[in-house]
Amino acid sequence: MYIKAASNISPQNTFGNQPYLSELAEYTGEQLTCIEPEYKTLIDPKLIRRMSRIIKMGVATGMDCLHQAGINAPDAIITGTAYGCLADTNTFLSKMVQQNEDALSPTPFIQSTHNTISAQIALLLQCHQYNNTFVNGGASFENALLDAMMLLYEGTAANVLVGGIDEITANSHAILKRMGLYRRFPVSNFELLNIPGEGTMAGEGAAFFMLSQEASGNDWAKIEGVSSFYKPRSIAEIQQHINTFLLTRHIDINEIDLVITGNNGDLKNDTVYGQLQQYDFANIPAINYKALCGEYPTSSAFAMWLAAHEIKNGVCSFVPQSNQIPLKKVLIYNHYQNIHHSLILLSAC
Amino acid sequence: MDKLMADLKEQIIEQLNLQDVKPEDIGDDQPLFGDGLGLDSIDALELIVLLQQKYKVKLSNAEDGPKIFRSVRTIAEFIESNKIPNA
Repeated sequence: MYIKAASNISPQNTFGNQPYLSELAEYTGEQLTCIEPEYKTLIDPKLIRRMSRIIKMGVATGMDCLHQAGINAPDAIITGTAYGCLADTNTFLSKMVQQNEDALSPTPFIQSTHNTISAQIALLLQCHQYNNTFVNGGASFENALLDAMMLLYEGTAANVLVGGIDEITANSHAILKRMGLYRRFPVSNFELLNIPGEGTMAGEGAAFFMLSQEASGNDWAKIEGVSSFYKPRSIAEIQQHINTFLLTRHIDINEIDLVITGNNGDLKNDTVYGQLQQYDFANIPAINYKALCGEYPTSSAFAMWLAAHEIKNGVCSFVPQSNQIPLKKVLIYNHYQNIHHSLILLSAC
Repeated sequence: MDKLMADLKEQIIEQLNLQDVKPEDIGDDQPLFGDGLGLDSIDALELIVLLQQKYKVKLSNAEDGPKIFRSVRTIAEFIESNKIPNA
């Protein structure tokens, strides 16, 4: 199946007609936050007034993706998000406490559910087709992608809009920091991977893709497969998953032109990548994408946008020694907290 | 009454997060729903919450809603006739 269009709001200048990652944004501190567009030109101001930041990011990228693909009525809208609309959830819960559960404003409650973004896109389009949201930690986007692929394989849908979205809020960041996820001392995202330590930098983003079973002749890339696995017990088990994933698609690891990995500068987290880069991925050019977008549970959606862009461009922009190789196959390997691991394989059309 | 209506206009804009709308853009007798300010059913719920929070006034009969929320003036009249003294 094919990626007809992709749209991405991230901590880099990735939305709209920006040149592809020509100038990278540097962040020093604990988090990378999204560079957001002027939404009034993208969403009806009457609707924007009820939308929190994550909803605006999701709706803007989803609608942009549809616009790029020239599709007004997708056959399905599927999203993946680990935390959902946290700002609205926080507002609603805080008001419940402050007002002793009395006279509560309905809007934050209505907008706080995890499926708000897919629902808002459907409402805007008056789209009554399949609409689903997957909430499964670090595998949320992969689950959404797998659902989209199954719909396309089964022939029940011809065009599916699929996206991964998560946001940072002050409260969620404070809680996750207390759990040891983030660095205790400020660091630059450009140096994050060069100075390994305890914890990483937080990130956020919204990336949507228009997938189709039929080639349009103008597609970004082809999706060869997606696979996720849970809490592998050893590096050998991870290697086995990678080998099986490639073997079932009749692909040798040497055929992979570029591997995009989820190194995030956290010593505990990066051990797995280090071992794979030493052996399995030793001879493959690599990009560590989390220096661009930070760590969040649906960051693999950013990685897929990056992979699709690299394939569309035909050359690897970030690895000097390989920039003359025409990219044919790009493998994304990511794990979130060493709990949810995933593989996504894209190829040139 | 004029002070109450001026306050209401500011509170409506804030509560409903009306973008690019100023208090002077809302007429005292301008319809709030439909073709007027363009509010909808969720806004009606927000207005009920606003009256309860700011003025301690409760809407006891939902069927009275369209009449009470017709304009800023009708809301102000409803508050005046239903407010609890010294509340």
